[in-house]
Amino acid sequence: MDAYDALRAAVIEGDDLTARAATEELLSAGHDAQALIRGALTPAMDEVGRRFEAGEFFLPEVLVAARAMKAAQELIQPLLARSKTPPRGRVVLGTVAGDLHDIGKNLVAAMLCSAGFAITDLGVDVSPDRFVAAVGAARPQIVGLSALLTTTMPAMQQTIEALEEQNLRADVKVMVGGAPLTGVFAARIGADGYAPTAAAAVNLARELTP
Amino acid sequence: MTSRELVRRTLSFDAPPRVPRQLWLLPWACDRYPEELRAIQARFPDDIVSAPAFHEALLPVHGDPYRPGTFVDEWGCTFLNVQAGVIGEVKTPLLKSWDAHEMVRFPEERLSVQVDEVNQFCRRTDRFVLAGACPRPFERLQFLRGTENLLMDLIDQPAGLHAFLARLHEFYMRELELWARTDVDALSFMDDWGGQQAMLISPQLWRTFFKPLYRDYVAIAHQSGKAAFMHSDGYILNILPDLVEIGLDALNCQVFCMDVALLGDRFGGKLTFWGELDRQQILPGGSRAAVIAAAQRLRSAFWRPGGFIAQCEFGPGARPENVHAFFEAWETLV
Repeated sequence: MDAYDALRAAVIEGDDLTARAATEELLSAGHDAQALIRGALTPAMDEVGRRFEAGEFFLPEVLVAARAMKAAQELIQPLLARSKTPPRGRVVLGTVAGDLHDIGKNLVAAMLCSAGFAITDLGVDVSPDRFVAAVGAARPQIVGLSALLTTTMPAMQQTIEALEEQNLRADVKVMVGGAPLTGVFAARIGADGYAPTAAAAVNLARELTP
Repeated sequence: MTSRELVRRTLSFDAPPRVPRQLWLLPWACDRYPEELRAIQARFPDDIVSAPAFHEALLPVHGDPYRPGTFVDEWGCTFLNVQAGVIGEVKTPLLKSWDAHEMVRFPEERLSVQVDEVNQFCRRTDRFVLAGACPRPFERLQFLRGTENLLMDLIDQPAGLHAFLARLHEFYMRELELWARTDVDALSFMDDWGGQQAMLISPQLWRTFFKPLYRDYVAIAHQSGKAAFMHSDGYILNILPDLVEIGLDALNCQVFCMDVALLGDRFGGKLTFWGELDRQQILPGGSRAAVIAAAQRLRSAFWRPGGFIAQCEFGPGARPENVHAFFEAWETLV
C-alpha cells in the first residue's frame, strides 16, 4: 500500500491519528497539497458517501471519517492558503431561522470541504438577513439551506426571497436539505436543487458548479 | 367495553370492537388551536393515558422546555430553544469526555414515586394507563455528551462510556422496577433510532450496545404482567425483528418513513403498531382525502383485527382538520 492508499484507508476507516501521520509523511516527501486532496481525501470521502448511500455506513462511521479527513486537512489547509489555490467552489451554509438542528448540515459541510469546496458555515437559526449578508461578503456560488422541522421549512422560502430582494439570487445556486423536505417542495420554493443526504449534496454541488 | 379492555384486546389481537385511539400533543398545538383541540378531544377521547409520576421529591428542573430560552432538566442538561411549543436542543453538553462521567448526578428524585397515588389514579380511570416514566438511554447519552460526540464515541468505545452506560441502565432498571410495582397497565421507553432513510447507527452497533437494555426493560414489564410500549422516530426497519424477538408489545414509529405495506406483511400480527399518521407530509400538508387514504393503508397493513392503535401527533405544522379527519376515518374502518 502506498502512502496515498494509506491516507485514503485511514480516512475511510475513521482513523484520525493515522490520517494525520500519513499526511505528514506525504507532505514531508514533497507531495503537493492539492494532489493530496485530489488523490486521497476527495476519493476517500466519496467512498464514505458511497458506503453511506449503500447502507454500509451509518452516521458514526461517516462522522469518524470526517474527523480523520479534518485531521489531514488541518495540515493541508495552511499550504493551500499560502499557495493561493482557488477552491472548487464557495458555499455558504446554514440551518434556517427558528431551527437549531445541525447534524445534517455539519455533515454536508464536512463532505463538501473534502470535495474541495470552501465553506462558510453560518451555524443554526440563521435569519434571511444573515444569509444575505454572508452571500454579499463571501460571494459564493452556492447557498445551502437546512431545516429539520416542518415549521421552519417556510424560512427557506423567505431566505430565497430575501436573496431575490437584494438582487443576489441570480448570482447563486440554492440547494436545500433536511428530513421533512422533498424535491417537490424544493422546486416549489424556487430552490435549484434538493439533496436527501450529505453525499447527494456533494454530487448536487458539483452539478451546480460545473 | 372500557378503554383499558379495548387496548388489551388490541394488543392480543383479540378482535376489539373498535380501534383504540390516542392523540399526542405538543404545546404548539395547544397554543395555536385551543378550540379545535377541545373539539377533537371531546369527539375522540383518548383510550390511553400516562400516569402522573406523583414524585414526592421535587425534580431539580429550571425553566420551561417548550418556551424560547433555556431549560435545564433533572440531569443538569441544558436545552436551548428558539421556538415556542416544541422542545429545544442541547448545544453545550455537560461531558467533554466520558472520563468525567462520575460527575453526572443521577436524578434520584425520579425514584420518589408515590405508589399509592399512582394506584389511586389507575383505579379512578377505565383507560389504559402507561407508566409516568420513559427511559431513553441513547438520547440521555446524547444529551449529556452531544449527539455528534456520542456517535463517534460509539465507534471509539472509550471505557468511560461503557461504565456510564452500565450506571445509566441500572438507574433506569430501578425506575422501571418501581413502576412495575404500581397498577399501571404498561411500561414504556423510547429513543429515536432512525433518520429519514436509514438508522442513525448500524444495526450491529445497536444490537451490541442497546438491544440488551431494551430486552431487560421488556422483561421487567412482562414479569409484572404489564405490556411494554416503545417509541422511536425515523426509519428503523432493520431492528424491527429484534424488537419482536425481545417481546415488545406496542411500537410507536414513523411507519410512513418505511414501506407501510411491507411492515404490515412482515410484522403485522407480531406486535401492535401504535400509530402513527405521517406528521411530515400528510398531517401538515395533506388533503382530507389523503388523510383518509393513509388511514385505509394503515388499516389494511396492520389490523388483524387488533394490532393497531390510531395515534397521531398534533405538533408543529399539523392541521387540526387533518387530525380530526384521521380519527373520524377510523370510525368507519373498524
